[in-house]
Amino acid sequence: MPEPVSAPIDLSAVALSYGSHRVLDGLTLQVARGSIYALLGGNGAGKSTTLSVLLGFAKPEAGRVQIAGIDPGADADAARRRIAYLPENVALYEHLSAFENADYLLALSGERQSRDAVLGAFAAAGLQERAWDQRLGGFSKGMRQKVAIAVALLREVPVLLLDEPTSGLDPRATADFNTLLASVRGRGTAVLMVTHDLMSAADVADRIGCIAAGRIADEVAAAGRERFDLRELHARFAGERAAA
Amino acid sequence: MRIWMYEARLLFRARLAVGALALLAVLSLAAVGAGLAEVARQHGAIAAIAEPQKQDIAAIAAWVDKDKDAGSAAYYTFHPTWDAPSPLAFAAIGMRDVSPYILRVRALGLEAQIYDGDVFNPELALPGRFDFSFLLVFLAPLFVIALFHDLISGEREAGRARMLSALPGARRLWFRRALLRFGLVFAVIMAPFLVAAIWSAVPVGSVALIVLAAAAYLLFWIALALLVGRLGASSTANAATLAGAWLVLTLVLPTLAHVAINQAVPIDQGSEIALAQREKVNAAWEIPREETMRQFYASHPQWSGSPPLGPDFHYKWYLAFHQVGDESVARQVQAYKAGLKKRDAAARTVGWALPPVGLQALLTGLAGTDLAAQLAYQERIRAFHRDLREFYYGYLFTDRPFAKADFAKAPRFEGS
Amino acid sequence: MNPALLVARDELRLMRRNRVAVIAFALLVLLTLTAVVTAWSHRQGIDALRTRHQAAADRAFDAQPDRHPHRVVHYGTFIFRPLGLLAAFDPGVDAFTGNSMFLEGHRQNTANFGDVRQSSLLIRFGQLTPAFVLQAVAPLLLIFLGYGAIARERERGTLRPLMLQGASSGQIVAGKLVALGLVALLAGLPAMLGFALIAGQPGAQSAPMALIAIGYGVYLALWSALILFLSALMRRSRDALIALLALWAVLVVLLPRVAPDVAGAMVPLSNRLQTDIAIARDLRGLGDSHDPADPHFARFKQSVLDRYGVTRVEELPVNYKGILAVEGERLTSDLFDRYAARSFDAQVRQNDVVHSLGLLSPAIALRTLSMAAAGTDFAGHRRFLEQAEAYRFDLVQRLNRLQANAVSYADDTARDADADRRKRVSEQTWQAMPDFRFRQPAGSTLALAALPWLGVLAAWLLVAAAALVFATRRLGGR
Repeated sequence: MPEPVSAPIDLSAVALSYGSHRVLDGLTLQVARGSIYALLGGNGAGKSTTLSVLLGFAKPEAGRVQIAGIDPGADADAARRRIAYLPENVALYEHLSAFENADYLLALSGERQSRDAVLGAFAAAGLQERAWDQRLGGFSKGMRQKVAIAVALLREVPVLLLDEPTSGLDPRATADFNTLLASVRGRGTAVLMVTHDLMSAADVADRIGCIAAGRIADEVAAAGRERFDLRELHARFAGERAAA
Repeated sequence: MRIWMYEARLLFRARLAVGALALLAVLSLAAVGAGLAEVARQHGAIAAIAEPQKQDIAAIAAWVDKDKDAGSAAYYTFHPTWDAPSPLAFAAIGMRDVSPYILRVRALGLEAQIYDGDVFNPELALPGRFDFSFLLVFLAPLFVIALFHDLISGEREAGRARMLSALPGARRLWFRRALLRFGLVFAVIMAPFLVAAIWSAVPVGSVALIVLAAAAYLLFWIALALLVGRLGASSTANAATLAGAWLVLTLVLPTLAHVAINQAVPIDQGSEIALAQREKVNAAWEIPREETMRQFYASHPQWSGSPPLGPDFHYKWYLAFHQVGDESVARQVQAYKAGLKKRDAAARTVGWALPPVGLQALLTGLAGTDLAAQLAYQERIRAFHRDLREFYYGYLFTDRPFAKADFAKAPRFEGS
Repeated sequence: MNPALLVARDELRLMRRNRVAVIAFALLVLLTLTAVVTAWSHRQGIDALRTRHQAAADRAFDAQPDRHPHRVVHYGTFIFRPLGLLAAFDPGVDAFTGNSMFLEGHRQNTANFGDVRQSSLLIRFGQLTPAFVLQAVAPLLLIFLGYGAIARERERGTLRPLMLQGASSGQIVAGKLVALGLVALLAGLPAMLGFALIAGQPGAQSAPMALIAIGYGVYLALWSALILFLSALMRRSRDALIALLALWAVLVVLLPRVAPDVAGAMVPLSNRLQTDIAIARDLRGLGDSHDPADPHFARFKQSVLDRYGVTRVEELPVNYKGILAVEGERLTSDLFDRYAARSFDAQVRQNDVVHSLGLLSPAIALRTLSMAAAGTDFAGHRRFLEQAEAYRFDLVQRLNRLQANAVSYADDTARDADADRRKRVSEQTWQAMPDFRFRQPAGSTLALAALPWLGVLAAWLLVAAAALVFATRRLGGR
């Protein structure tokens, strides 16, 4: 894969309307390699549409979208080969085991990994060993996410898209997940997470953007070890949300 | 390969899919079995003609031999004709359960004989046969609906659809799953048929055409199911919509078309032919016999050298007025046949718009069990009847005696 | 207000707001009305046509010139089966049986020119009649409207709150049943419009009509109960729908098709060739009237001579040839009747097999009831065939007796030039011959024949109701 010149996730001046409603209106946003971007915003601000555009589900009317140098609107399949996507509720096949689910998802993506490699990824994703060959039926959301992240790790995709990954997770699972995410970042993956959870975003993100009326209304970068000033974040984004 | 195994496992985990395929397999075997049994029964009935017929002829021959009157032989001897089922008939019994496939005729007026039917139980005929064509035309779409109505909506309802769609090659996923389901339904429906078709020595061309038509028909329903599925409603709504479409396409519209066609192409000449022919035949008794003979010789000059009629009854006059009676209604017969063909053609036209009708027409057409095949059988009977008449005329118009040995010289029907 | 009625009102309101349901219901009503109109005009058309043909045939018979009676035996007569009024509701096997018959001496002909052999292949897809719509389509509509009645509430978690508000599970189910039943009633109403048309005609019979109306009512009621049963039993509304559709396909489409094949395999039917040859053989066994040495006919001749106290046939006060014809027809008709009875019996046994499968499929039971009450079942066709044969025998024997009494033996055997004239009987005679009039069975006869199937349907209703009660109890327990 040639090294992309731009950031793995690169949206600039993207505009999209559903009917007469302008959902994205000049959205510009970059996520660099090995960084996590948390996208916050109220309902209808354009968060899910952003993901849809990146996944090639929706084609923007104007602007530029690049996933590792590829326009998903032109070649969705090529873009998706470079993306791992976790929806809010990672629903997998209940009557397949964790391993089989991973194996199947890899097969669907056109990849094949040895059992050892898959189990290694499970370990890296923090899935307990006794769950590896268990049916997924009784898995918690956190465990399902770990299976899906393991698949993403195995696919070695440059881009990871997350939709509300921490909603419904208990604080401990959230912490676990954030640790896992940090290790994913460590591998050079560009991570975009759409979330409501300011705390979690502040905990793990390198950059936090707030989308309102289809564009980035405000953006804050982590500042050194202190990362974010939560109080300031609240003050800034609560205002944006009220405006949206 | 691995991916197909996963798909198969996922499919077979669904109780509905397994149940549907198992039921379809049972029905498919039963339909072909029932068709084969019916065809075997019909072959058996045709094979069973010879023995009693031989005894019948022997008894008549013994009796006729006393006077050696060819007329008596012609009057009393019934000659069997039959329409053997084609190798493919097991797949589509068509009209063979209500139209005769065995008919005995004698050298008298044919128009009073050719419309006769055989014994059949109308209550059994009313709902139609359970054969391969029924399975394919009526039942297969229901199974397609059962397996395809939730192909995409099921994943959506399970919350997996968006993630699956976000995978590279998501289109291939749906295609693969559709192909797997199609392949299974197709295999389960076609396997018993193909075995039976090979066993019955059905011509390869017909089998190939049916395989293609069946695939196209299933694909039509699959396309409909996917189209409905794309509208984004729930699996439940999809199932209801598709079942409604099935009802309309296989039951409601064909019945409406039937009413429309029978209204547009009225046929009431059938019994009128029979009435007119009888009038003509019986009127011969009221007119000078020479007049009948003149009419007869006009169209059959080869016998005009026959000696004139004496005062006594002579069968050549009797057979002549029967033939004149037939010929007098020839135009009505043509109109009647044309009407039947027109109705048939109209139904075939409807078949272009209604796949179930089109497929049924194709199957019965290939199997030779449709109206056209019935009319063709009637044509063969007519040709045979012409030979019969000529045969008896050869004795009657030359006053040759007709002895026991002459019965064996009578033309024999060449069964198809 | 009673909680059940509240539930019913809610359910109906929901159906009214469901655009698909409203469209489906409207389509059903439209379809039923179309069926009523086409079936009605079809019956009227057929009846008018057959009446016209019958009149033409009768006129032709009456218009015969002076003829020898035996000529008329062969001239024969055509009869047409009239169609009962209720055929406008359920034509039954009418299209599958020949509707005209040629009656003559010495022979028993088949009924010919049935619609099934004169129509395109479309006729095998079923016929659009009110009976078909109510038997096949109406249950499907009820399924569409009712599969979710209870399953939906449970799936969405609205069942428990409803019960917490004080409605018992029985009241909820009863309410849903009332709503679905009301829809069923409305769905059946347009078909009853056709009934009103029929009832307004002279000769309409109330007993079979009442039975049909009750039968269809029970049928739709039992479907309503079955639908709610499965809706209460299944955890998801989709499962309920699929199960109901499968049930419908098996009971309404599959079993009625499989049953005839089972019956045909269990009870074989002789074909016409076998029967004709067997009759001819039996006839030869009885004797040859042309053979003076034949023992049967020699005995018969002696008995006739003895009866009149003469020694030679020429001395008989009646024409011996006519007497012989009467005897011959008696013998052949006897055989015809015997073989026909055998064939009828076999067909009745076949139908019994099909009907007994009505225990498995209420659709078969209802169809049987409907055709029996409408007089359009096999029994109805058999009535026609039997009346036709009785008429044929009577007509031929009248003509044979006419030959015995009105034509002298001397004339009948004379061969002089004028003999042909002397053998003939005046043309007025033919007008005096009775015409064939099909006697429609009494309403009570039809109703009685249909009654057992009402019993089967009632049993189905009871079973469905019991199942519903069971499912309702389970509903309350959870």
